[in-house]
Amino acid sequence: MTSSIRTYDLWKEYDTGGHDGIALRGIELDIARGQIIALLGKSGSGKTTLLNLLAGLDEPTRGRVEIDGMDLQGLGERGRTELRRNKLGFVFQFFNLLPTLTALENVLLALELAGKPDEARALASIALVGLAGKEGRYPHELSGGEQQRIAIARALVKDPPIILADEPTGNLDSHTGTQVLELLTGRCRESGTTLVMVSHSLKTCEYADRILRMSDGRIFEEESCEGLAP
Amino acid sequence: MKRVIRSFLRYLVRRRSLAVLQLLGIAFGVAAAVGMTLASRSALESMEGAVDFLKGTATHTIARPAGPMEEGALAKIMGDPAVRFFAPVIDRKVRLTSGDQVRLLGLDPFLDRNVRSITAQIASSANSTGRDDAFQPFMLDPRTILVDENVAKTADIKAGQDLMTLQGPLRVVEVFANASGEPLVIMDIGHAQEFFRMAGYIDRADLVVTDEEGFRSRWSQGFTIESNRQKAQTLSSLLGAFKLNLEALSLLALFVGIFLIYNTAMFTVVSRRRDAGILLSIGASRGQVTVAFLVEVLILGITGGALGGIMGYFLSKFLVQIVGGTISSLYFFLRPSALPWTFWNVAGGILLGCAAGIVGSLPPLLELRRVQPVLVLRGRTASRSASRKMKIIGTVGLLCLALSLSLFLLSFLNVYIGFAGAFAFLLAASLFAGFAIVVAVPCLKRLFSCAMGLAGKVAIGNIRENLGRTSVAVAAFMIALSMSIGLSSMIDSFRHSLIWWMNGQLRGEAYISTKADVTVPEEAYEELKRVPGIGGIDVFRNVQISFRGKPAGITSIDAAVLQKWAQFSWLEGSDRSWDNVRRGDVIVSESFSLRFKVKMGDAITIDTARGPATLRIAGVYYDYASEHGVIMIDRSFYLTLFNDRTINSLGVFIDAPGPEKGRTLEKVRELSQKYGLPFATREQFHKRILGIFDSTFAVTRSMRIIAVIVAFFGIAGALMTLFVERQKEFGIYRALGFTTGDVAKITVAESIGLGLISFLMSTVVGTIFAYILIRVINRQSFNWTIFYHLTAQPYLVTFLTAVAASIAACAYPLWSVIRKYPVMQIREE
Repeated sequence: MTSSIRTYDLWKEYDTGGHDGIALRGIELDIARGQIIALLGKSGSGKTTLLNLLAGLDEPTRGRVEIDGMDLQGLGERGRTELRRNKLGFVFQFFNLLPTLTALENVLLALELAGKPDEARALASIALVGLAGKEGRYPHELSGGEQQRIAIARALVKDPPIILADEPTGNLDSHTGTQVLELLTGRCRESGTTLVMVSHSLKTCEYADRILRMSDGRIFEEESCEGLAP
Repeated sequence: MKRVIRSFLRYLVRRRSLAVLQLLGIAFGVAAAVGMTLASRSALESMEGAVDFLKGTATHTIARPAGPMEEGALAKIMGDPAVRFFAPVIDRKVRLTSGDQVRLLGLDPFLDRNVRSITAQIASSANSTGRDDAFQPFMLDPRTILVDENVAKTADIKAGQDLMTLQGPLRVVEVFANASGEPLVIMDIGHAQEFFRMAGYIDRADLVVTDEEGFRSRWSQGFTIESNRQKAQTLSSLLGAFKLNLEALSLLALFVGIFLIYNTAMFTVVSRRRDAGILLSIGASRGQVTVAFLVEVLILGITGGALGGIMGYFLSKFLVQIVGGTISSLYFFLRPSALPWTFWNVAGGILLGCAAGIVGSLPPLLELRRVQPVLVLRGRTASRSASRKMKIIGTVGLLCLALSLSLFLLSFLNVYIGFAGAFAFLLAASLFAGFAIVVAVPCLKRLFSCAMGLAGKVAIGNIRENLGRTSVAVAAFMIALSMSIGLSSMIDSFRHSLIWWMNGQLRGEAYISTKADVTVPEEAYEELKRVPGIGGIDVFRNVQISFRGKPAGITSIDAAVLQKWAQFSWLEGSDRSWDNVRRGDVIVSESFSLRFKVKMGDAITIDTARGPATLRIAGVYYDYASEHGVIMIDRSFYLTLFNDRTINSLGVFIDAPGPEKGRTLEKVRELSQKYGLPFATREQFHKRILGIFDSTFAVTRSMRIIAVIVAFFGIAGALMTLFVERQKEFGIYRALGFTTGDVAKITVAESIGLGLISFLMSTVVGTIFAYILIRVINRQSFNWTIFYHLTAQPYLVTFLTAVAASIAACAYPLWSVIRKYPVMQIREE
């Protein structure tokens, strides 16, 4: 099976003014193409830090990250930007839609940055997340669940091989959260997209192919969610 | 790319109130700089225009080094082969009964017609058979005049009516147009000699010379020959220190303006870090985000700059009047008109707005390019990083401070080095703003906790936690307040020094006329001497001379009278120096000593009516009468050297006790009235001098107001940005149970807190700035010592300004809080 994401002895230390600021301690990870991963763990265990390093949004203190066999550090700033444009989709807990753009424009922006501006495709992506007819609305005119769907549409629209989701349901009620999980995992399975979902919620396990638990900056493989504290 | 830019530009529309505030911030910053620069340029260009109008086609003037010249010399000058045209002139002042002063030119219409257009018109009319009735009385009737349209309009008179002067009525024959704007009256030269009791004398002759070198070689002994170029240079150097002052004020306005634009541009970028983070996370490059930011800053810079350029033009129209008034009070009449409107006002404003905007946005944009996207995505910079930055900025501040000290040490080389030092100091001070906040916060927290409870405590904490924003706002406000304290303290100190000087030097009980007013006839002086109770009369004459190619003044006084009655303050020498002055030595003012680098015991050579004369300096005294320097000489020696019996004013010292003193004073007043001379008691005279002094600082005061307006926008912009940025925090406050009133209190406390920190900092920076202005800038520009005088008023006024501006600045954010807070939630958009 081909690796989609690989990390080697990944360390991340923050400058906290003398306190222990080690967020990741030698993470070794190998995620196969098309796998759906649930990355669980308590607050401060290092989940989001790992996700930011995988997206090239942050730099490791030591070690390296490979996306589709490419070393992120070796890509340089320009290469990492290209990677985020074409190969990565990102879904955030707080949606992170640009408040000054409409739903359609937010989705279309991802295509434009990838050099494939296609309004029909953006509209189709919005329809796919069940929000047809709400394309012209600004983020503040949408509910939390709707904003997250638009964020998912933005991540999916460019057909990236990898989607990284940072607590995609963390800011939603359980019903809406379930809908979002179904939508996100369903679309990824259909398109063979690798999905890494950081979550607190054990519910995420139900939709994942593989469960990883993080604790104190280290990563552990879990067979199931049983026994994991919510 | 277009959509990235569009997302940024829509932000401007969405946050209209903030965008308008940012726009106005840039506009006011540009207006301050453009207004002051245009005003000083207008004044200086108008000066050249006024000189051109009165000189006509004359190429040179010839006069005695001081005082009037004898008519006897005229025939020889007229006959000189190098002289093509020749026009004798009497150039004096006349005071109207309304109190206004006008310039009276005594001209010979027939000789003058080849030089000035106005007299050419009189001469041709008088020669024609048809219209001579209008001008015949002008040449035949001794008290007839031509008045310019300004005088006619002010006095509300027309041809055939009388212009009322202190020396009696003058009949107006004709009203003429005068482009210079100076109130001007023309009289036939023969009548003018009679009017001014100077039969046989003229003030100067205006010439059209064909061979300058030959003419100078024949007439240099005992005469002063000045070409137009030299005259313009003389006027220009007369205004030298004043021009410098204007340039400094323009630079100061530019500094404050750029600071505000910088402030605004920086807020624009800093407050949008999170949006930049989102864009980076979905694949926008740093270059694209930077370009989007720059487009936004440039749009603000272009719009605000254009608006500022227009506002600056209108501001210059107001300032130019003040500048003209000051030049007229201190040097010579000038009624400057604002420069005509040009497209360059807007272009310059746009250039300034954009340049300062880009400079302002550079630090956060560079940071944006340097830091990891994940940090940008978090939005506001963490306080730990802000504290670290503050240390770096503080270190740069220390370097700036060291630079400013070095520049001050070198300021003796050139006054501009002193200016550079002053700006380096202000820059250094502004870089310590963050440090000042950190130092002041613990005390302010206690103070505000006591005064406003939890809201006060939270507010001061917010100031500390948002150091990146608040330090820039404090820096801008502090600079404006420091300027206010510095300029006020300098003016106050100068005022006190002037009062001290007047109390020592101008101790006469009464003064008849002044050096800038009408001349005193010698008969009036002779008659005054016979008034019983008079202890002494100081006969004062002041003329401008050229010394070592620069303008200076020579003042003749009665040394015996001043030795007895006045109390000069000496830098070198003592009251015993008067004995030497009575024997033919001179004393010189501090400005003369510093400007020409001469000291007590040195000998100086000046041009006199008898040729060069060498005089020994018997002392150097403190003086604020002229920054160009004064040589003071006893009248008896002055008469010998210059043969000039003109009297500018008389200082009257009364030797009579109690009630008799009043009667003597009354007699002096009556005598002044009899000769149509202005009279002032000592108090009135001092008051008039202080009035002129105050009016000369009108521009400076305007500058202070501009600085405070600019600072107001700085604080308002900072508060508004903080408000927009912290919508989520407001949601948290609401969730925690803070009422709208509590949050309103937080907003007000933040604003007042920023104002207080700025004020506290400005008390130190402003005091040092005042000291720099007094000890470095003023001494280098004007060559005189001002004694620092600490008064509470500048600090009190600045404190009230700080509080008032802080409260006004928080008005809009407060309104926004009250309006929006009740519906705020902890949610992201």
